[in-house]
Amino acid sequence: MNKEIKLSVNDLKVSFRTDAGKVQAVRNISFDLYKGETLAIVGESGSGKSVTSKAIMGISAGNSIYEGGEILYDGQDLTRIPEEEMHKLRGDKIAMIFQDPLSSLNPIMRIGKQITEAMLLKNKANRKEGRTTFNKTLALLSETIKKALAANPQSGVTNADVDKYIKTFDDFNIQAIKLENSYNAARTAAEEMIAAIEDLLFMTEKKQKVDTVASLDLIKNRLKVINDKYFTSGQEDVLKAHVAAVDAVAREERSKVTALDFVKKVAGAGGYRKEASPETVDAMKELEKTAQELLARPQYNFFRIGYYVMKHPAEDLSQMPAEEANEMALKFLKEDFIDSFMELVKLAVQFSFDKTNENKKVAIRELESAIQFFKAGNFTAQDAEKHSKHIISCVSAAIDPLAIVKDNVAYTFGSTLENAVDKYFFYIKNNPKEEARFARQTAQREKLLARGKKVEWKIVPKSVIAPEVQIEAIASIMTRVKTKFEADIAAAGKFDADQRCLDIIDFLKEKASQIVYTLTKRIAKEKAIKLMEEVGIPEARIRYRQYPFEFSGGMRQRIVIAIALSANPDVLICDEPTTALDVTIQAQILELINRLKKERNLSIIFITHDLGVVANMADRIAVMYAGKIVEYGTAEEVFYDPQHPYTWALLSSMPDLDTNEKLDAIPGTPPNMIYPPVGDAFAERSKYAMEIDYEMQPPMFEVSPTHYAATWLLHPNAPKVEMPKIITERIRRMKERGSDHAE
Amino acid sequence: MQNNEVLLKVDHLCQYFKLGRKDLKAVDDVCFEIKKGESFGLVGESGCGKTTTGRSIIKLYNITSGNVYFKGERVGAGIRSYQDAIRKARTEASEKIKALRAEAAADESRKAEIQDEIKQINANLHAVVEENRALIRGAKSNTKDVDKRYVGTLLKALEAEYAEKFDNAANNPDELAALKKEYKNRCRVAKKSKLITQIQMIFQDPIASLDPRMTVRDIIAEGLVIKGITDQAYINEKVYEILEMVGLVREHADRYPHEFSGGQRQRIGIARAVIMEPEMIIADEPVSALDVSIQAQVINLLNDLRERLGLTILFIAHDLSVVKYFSDRIGVMYFGKMVELADSDELFKNPLHPYTKSLLSAIPLPDPVYEKQRTRIIYNPIAEHDYSVDAPSFREVAPGHFVQCNDAEEAKYKQQLK
Repeated sequence: MNKEIKLSVNDLKVSFRTDAGKVQAVRNISFDLYKGETLAIVGESGSGKSVTSKAIMGISAGNSIYEGGEILYDGQDLTRIPEEEMHKLRGDKIAMIFQDPLSSLNPIMRIGKQITEAMLLKNKANRKEGRTTFNKTLALLSETIKKALAANPQSGVTNADVDKYIKTFDDFNIQAIKLENSYNAARTAAEEMIAAIEDLLFMTEKKQKVDTVASLDLIKNRLKVINDKYFTSGQEDVLKAHVAAVDAVAREERSKVTALDFVKKVAGAGGYRKEASPETVDAMKELEKTAQELLARPQYNFFRIGYYVMKHPAEDLSQMPAEEANEMALKFLKEDFIDSFMELVKLAVQFSFDKTNENKKVAIRELESAIQFFKAGNFTAQDAEKHSKHIISCVSAAIDPLAIVKDNVAYTFGSTLENAVDKYFFYIKNNPKEEARFARQTAQREKLLARGKKVEWKIVPKSVIAPEVQIEAIASIMTRVKTKFEADIAAAGKFDADQRCLDIIDFLKEKASQIVYTLTKRIAKEKAIKLMEEVGIPEARIRYRQYPFEFSGGMRQRIVIAIALSANPDVLICDEPTTALDVTIQAQILELINRLKKERNLSIIFITHDLGVVANMADRIAVMYAGKIVEYGTAEEVFYDPQHPYTWALLSSMPDLDTNEKLDAIPGTPPNMIYPPVGDAFAERSKYAMEIDYEMQPPMFEVSPTHYAATWLLHPNAPKVEMPKIITERIRRMKERGSDHAE
Repeated sequence: MQNNEVLLKVDHLCQYFKLGRKDLKAVDDVCFEIKKGESFGLVGESGCGKTTTGRSIIKLYNITSGNVYFKGERVGAGIRSYQDAIRKARTEASEKIKALRAEAAADESRKAEIQDEIKQINANLHAVVEENRALIRGAKSNTKDVDKRYVGTLLKALEAEYAEKFDNAANNPDELAALKKEYKNRCRVAKKSKLITQIQMIFQDPIASLDPRMTVRDIIAEGLVIKGITDQAYINEKVYEILEMVGLVREHADRYPHEFSGGQRQRIGIARAVIMEPEMIIADEPVSALDVSIQAQVINLLNDLRERLGLTILFIAHDLSVVKYFSDRIGVMYFGKMVELADSDELFKNPLHPYTKSLLSAIPLPDPVYEKQRTRIIYNPIAEHDYSVDAPSFREVAPGHFVQCNDAEEAKYKQQLK
């Protein structure tokens, strides 16, 4: 599969500490989430679906323990990063929609504030973060260039030259940012002004009385800020005329204010409120039109112009139309600076890549010997630490720092390895204790049983991992990074240095623009209203000022979706978003999520217990039971060719429109996860259970390259069993219907 | 199981709630009949008045107007429509009189004539008021007398039953005394019984509807205790029997609700309803709060009980696949009105009302290929119907198939059915 992996969960284990014992909620689950796809997780309540999603969000309950495994996202292991780091990702990159919309909204805050709150906070944080990242990346680049030059001295470029280049790049970026800042301020003011005008016009249209004087003051104020030469070029006179016009209507409106109004205002009893006069409305409409035109004009590319302006401070580019100026500046920039700078960057990229490639070869050798060392066993803590430190430094040396797309496996290698080694020593110490406890409890239970007493309690199973197994785990961590490196080296021929250079420059540009992008409350409001319209809330401008209790269930869920989308996340986790809603609203919300997924290329994890909902949404489905994934495959495979008895049971316990026979209910309840079953967890409730199901956990058997199921029924030696009739009937019907539709 | 005896008849039921100065019409003019032994499904989106209908039938609310008949007896009646009629007649009459008086003031010659006319109007008004007042009295006394009549029939049945027994035991004074005591006891219970207890309700949320401080035994036996049964041994026996009937075990009787899983709690709710030996059960979204696999268990249980005890069930839910599976006939509600009513197969095969169509098109099915092609029909009442000239009413378009429509739509629907 060549799709980009957004998020991958490997071998995740989450438990909860409770008074009665440790509840193993999630036991060794693994899955990958690809870009732009929907992965559905299906199962009964208590199967660990929500625990998984909460672990990804880093909002697990206080008594939870991550017992192992990793959640990889963007070169980070989400189970190990500190809360501050998680804070940056949560909501911004990974957003979540909860089951009950009312409980995830603040009842005493207006809807608008709840939507814009995150936007404003994130904007501030992003500006700060953009500045640091920009500086860091530039410093790294200059350092690498110098190193690369030291390696090939014949190029004739000295370190001083490099410093000059970097300084020029930094300077003209700053120049560009300054220009852009001023331009953006004007642009922002224009947008704010339009927002204020829209508000005023809207209220007038609805025949509402407003404080027109205050509104006009605000508009006037904003209009004065629109004076950036790049933004207003060619339209200065028009704007001047507008200023005069607005002044005139403002005077007119002000003349209507009586002394009584003034007294009222001073007394705090509301003050002046009137409907805007037709002249005001006309003037406002004209002004809005002009502002819209200004906003719609092609923008100057300040990255290009910045350099030109820096070199020719006397010239004024703003008189030139944007496209022309852009072209001219680009030509100048290319000839004068960027081509030679790019040469240097390319040199650095190539150098860094070659070096890391060499390092990778070294790392592979070292990894091999380390694997040998660990596999031999019997190592002391000091030895192990020495070896792991060495190997971690080797691997981190083999990471190309100039690669923008981060390599998850290599980046998280260090913490994963250290953790695994720690665990090895922990178990060596803890295993005997655990064995002793188990033996003691078993003996006690048997004693009681021998005396003929009724024993209500069960023995807590021992959590013991043999040292050999743990060593195997350590080795597999190293093997994984080794295979990754080997694959990288094999693919080294396809390396495209030019592309890499462009990536870096783009990245720097993106960060620079992130620094200058400021979001004011007024713009945030306009954005929020646009977002509310996007998720299908009618009359968003009125709705913006309402409280959550004024919304119906479906509308509330839309608000929650709007909040989740406000930060433009990469990954969206939906935890039973439609369970509390009825059929029509459910259909609307599902359609909305599907549409947004297509529009924004989101990756979605969709958690539900309703298979009908899943069929509509999912590209792939994972069926969970008792903390494990028992079957996963594409939607078609799971629905038309289910393999696990639990999937059969789920499918046959829900009636569809053609079902007339008695439903196959699943007898009993899910197992108590303080005492997880030894074998297949579903065996106790399954009529297909075999003896081996009570003794050993089934591995994942491959049905097709994309379809896996953990049941012993797929073992070659297993007896042949048929799916329940109710499902075979249904699949037959579905296929018929499918062929009907195809015709 | 088909039987033509009508067990429950809901006739122009209206339930309004006060909402400031206005009324919220939660249920507006709903009519349907439920036959003995059938299962009747009520569907619609949340807030359309399904649950209110169920609660009004069982008299958890005082209904605003309309009648509810159970086994031919009027168990619930609203008086608002009669009051409205009186009010309307009064205002009309007073307006007329005012106009006539003005006329009389203008024209002295016609005074006597107008006096007569006014008298006539007053007499008419009086008749209307009296008629409606009689109806109001009737509605009030009728609902009271229902229980008296019901107790009467119960006592008669008891008398007949025991007369024979007394004759048989006439020679044995001890046995006779015991029988007499038993007879007295049962008569006491019978005197207190009410017809409405023949309808029982199962509630949606099994956690909220069970008292956390009562044991399961107390919860299940509460109905019997209120009925006046004091024989503890009999109550226990009955509780155990019912517990086993709903798939729990005797030991569960002494536990508290929090010790049970969701499905088991719903079973307790069912046991509490079934122990009263009702003829009819109103199941208000009994499976909506449960997991898929548990849902199937509860649905199977309800089906078993229905067959075993010959229950009639009013099944309220929003999940159409479940309603389809469970019900013989289905009524679709939209904003307090019943818009379509038909046999369940008929309804799914030939949905006529546009709202029903949109509801059916929203059902998700566990079939990915079909799902990807499914298009949802959106219902917009303003665009669909033109009721400005001809107001709609609830009509029978085909035998057993009722739709809310006006003349033009009726013709169109009939055309569709052909």
